[in-house]
Amino acid sequence: MEIIKNYLIVENKRWIIGSLLIAFLLLLPIAILFIKLFSEPGKNFSYLWDTVLIDYTFNTFYLIFITSFFTLLFGLFPAWIISNYRFIGRNFYDLVLFLPLAIPSYIMGFTYIDILSFTGPVQSFLRNTFPVLASYFNIDYLQIETLGILLGLALYPYVYTAARVAFSLLGSNYIDLSKSLGLSTIKSFYKIILPLSRPAIFSGLFLVFMEVLNEYGAVKYFGINTYTTGIFKAWFSLGDIGTAIQLACLLLLVVFFFFVLEKISSSKTKFFYETNSPVQRLLYVNKDKLLFFHLVCSIPFILGFFIPFVFIVNNVFQTYSSIDFVRLFTLSFNTIFVSSLSSFIIIIVALFFLFVEKISKTKINTIISHLISLGYAIPGAVIGLGLIMLFSNIMDSFFSVSLIGSFYVLIYAYVIRFLAVGKSPIKSSLEKHPESYDDTGKNLGLGPFKLLQKIHLPINKFALISAFILTFIDIMKELPITLILRPFNFDTLATQTYEFAIEEMLPLSSSYSLSIIVIGSMLLLFLKNVINKQLNVS
Amino acid sequence: MNKCYFIVLLSVLCVRCSPTNKTSNEINIYSQRHYSVDEIQYKNFEKLTGIKVNVVKANADELIERLKNEGANTPADLFITVDAGKLFKAKELSLLQKVSTSEIKKNINDAFEDKDGYWVPITYRARIVVYSNERVDLSELSTYEDLATPKWKDRLLVRSSLNAYNQALMSSIVANLGSDSAEAWSLGLVNNFARDPKGSDRDQVKAIAAGQGDVAIVNSYYIGLLLSSENEEELKAGNSVSVFFPNQEDGGRGSHINVSGIGLTKYAPNKKNAIKLLEYLTGEEAQKIYVNNSYEYPVNSNVEPADIVKNWGKFKPDNLDLNLLGKYREEAILIFDKTGWK
Repeated sequence: MEIIKNYLIVENKRWIIGSLLIAFLLLLPIAILFIKLFSEPGKNFSYLWDTVLIDYTFNTFYLIFITSFFTLLFGLFPAWIISNYRFIGRNFYDLVLFLPLAIPSYIMGFTYIDILSFTGPVQSFLRNTFPVLASYFNIDYLQIETLGILLGLALYPYVYTAARVAFSLLGSNYIDLSKSLGLSTIKSFYKIILPLSRPAIFSGLFLVFMEVLNEYGAVKYFGINTYTTGIFKAWFSLGDIGTAIQLACLLLLVVFFFFVLEKISSSKTKFFYETNSPVQRLLYVNKDKLLFFHLVCSIPFILGFFIPFVFIVNNVFQTYSSIDFVRLFTLSFNTIFVSSLSSFIIIIVALFFLFVEKISKTKINTIISHLISLGYAIPGAVIGLGLIMLFSNIMDSFFSVSLIGSFYVLIYAYVIRFLAVGKSPIKSSLEKHPESYDDTGKNLGLGPFKLLQKIHLPINKFALISAFILTFIDIMKELPITLILRPFNFDTLATQTYEFAIEEMLPLSSSYSLSIIVIGSMLLLFLKNVINKQLNVS
Repeated sequence: MNKCYFIVLLSVLCVRCSPTNKTSNEINIYSQRHYSVDEIQYKNFEKLTGIKVNVVKANADELIERLKNEGANTPADLFITVDAGKLFKAKELSLLQKVSTSEIKKNINDAFEDKDGYWVPITYRARIVVYSNERVDLSELSTYEDLATPKWKDRLLVRSSLNAYNQALMSSIVANLGSDSAEAWSLGLVNNFARDPKGSDRDQVKAIAAGQGDVAIVNSYYIGLLLSSENEEELKAGNSVSVFFPNQEDGGRGSHINVSGIGLTKYAPNKKNAIKLLEYLTGEEAQKIYVNNSYEYPVNSNVEPADIVKNWGKFKPDNLDLNLLGKYREEAILIFDKTGWK
């Protein structure tokens, strides 16, 4: 014990203190919010209980349930097929199945409802050509189930990505073994592969849960009351901060529940990918299965990307004459500027925390590392207001208030909100490398900084790039924080898209949403390249 | 060498990220309005006066929260909303100061003025009833209250109670009829819903066209937008319904209206410029631009509404003090929750 203590004090003190300081900065706005909110008297809990709580709770969980079901459906099976079989079109699917990540969920919602609506292309076409069929399609699509499917389409890439990497890294030993024991392909999938990949799949699913809990724009449009819409209503419409905090606590409780679930799931199956097990051979597909495989792989892509993409492109052509290209260019520049700068900072911060966690081996750093990920579960607008309160109440001066409308605070908020997104790829990459690298490095006389620079930066290069791209895309799609914290006259592609969409002028938003999708898709295709390299390297 | 680059990069970032220095020849606006017509107005104003207009657009309640926290150090001069209730709320939190000049007074029709003088209206809109031309006879329609009677069972469409326009309508009912009657009215409406409240105002009209309901409560200008749509199917949907202004009977109180309005913040750093903008926006030229781009009604009596809007005919607006839309807001929301209007 004494030796460990000495070791800490001598070697890594500065790193640990540094990490504590930064963690303090990251948690401060959230803490302020809670202190402030708890000091405000609210209506008692029975009001919530009597009126809306059951509705909110049911909707929140039901939506999570449907969305998870569809993310698993759209994510797992294609991932399995592509990781194991060789067929014409495989490379294409492998490339495009990520792409729905480039479409913000509110755009997915608005676009599909427009497509399916009474005046949209589907129903109009049916009315004009098959009037008999038309009445079957004339139904109310603004249902919680529809939203669940749409969110499933927008979010399944999280599950797909995680599953795809896990399935590919399993190696053929397990599959060969299960086959020689007489298990059918389907049985070995359920009995061997799924349990072994569960931690990875669950970590993807965890991101899906967080996204659904945070969802505001689409949920409000569909008229579905969840905890998040409840928080907004209580705080803003009623000015009832007490009720808002009660709901926020419930929301965090739900997050905590999923968090523990993930921890349990990953600790039960402690499993290391063996790097020296032979890489899986791709199997050839016989003809009768081929059609089925094509269906399984193409449906998520067609529904999740192709159809909304074509619809938006069509809108762009329709409104071509009214597109303001100068503005489009400016907003694209703004978006790229603020997203890349923030992602860069997030990657540095995430790497720093993970590295300190790795070298310090103290419990406190592990806890901190978990705590700072909490921002991902808190609705963006709540973080935004936490920062406004922090800067205006704690440091009450003209200088601190004028910081509120600056990029510093905007980026500060993004870091709090999206640190978890940047952290997870780096974390899984760091965990894959054996401790012996660090020990060898230390024996060769490297200090912590050199260790990071000479060993961890190069060997985690791909993970860092993935983390950068994923955070970039998330920030590019972000709305509530940008709306409330942005500087004067600063618009991004996302804010402009949203402004047209909520004013019910969807066609005019198309050029901006198309830019989001194009930028996102290009980055994702690049990311795919990186991941492929990573799979081949390790 | 590397360090040099780093320092240069850092200083560039600092310059890029820092809040712009204050110059006196500008106005800073916190606005809830997202319409592209506003950009046109600001550009015209800039050309006319050389005063630069800076805008942050976000949700009204969040902007109020921001104003409240910024206190005396706020950079904002003007606060723009699409709901008099929010202006009332800002005034109650003493975020606004009185504003009135002879020019503004001359521009605005007295009926829409704030009686306390804390905000200036720029346009107004009515929350009206649209009905299916096929399935509803004009004689069936009369008042908002009538929509709660059983004859409309499973025929009524409206969006969610989270929407500020519905909250304002409910506040007006509370103000006019008292909270007990308002609760009974809400319950009646909920019983008549053709489906759960959801979607946008435009979606309600489409739902009538689709046959999912017969009448809907919507804002007037959305019908204007639908009727000027370039999509043929949307035009058809717009033409399958007609507009009805409720409560127009003799002695009736008139249709519920709400304003887009502007408050001058209590600590406005550029007060003079801000007042110039208010005078400009209520003037005839700017009012014409509003009317023809967003299908709202003008607050300047010398300006006529857009042609599409004029076709619906003149109507009697409810002359309730619009501040009451803010005063009864909380009560309205509690009634929504209690009666199950989602």
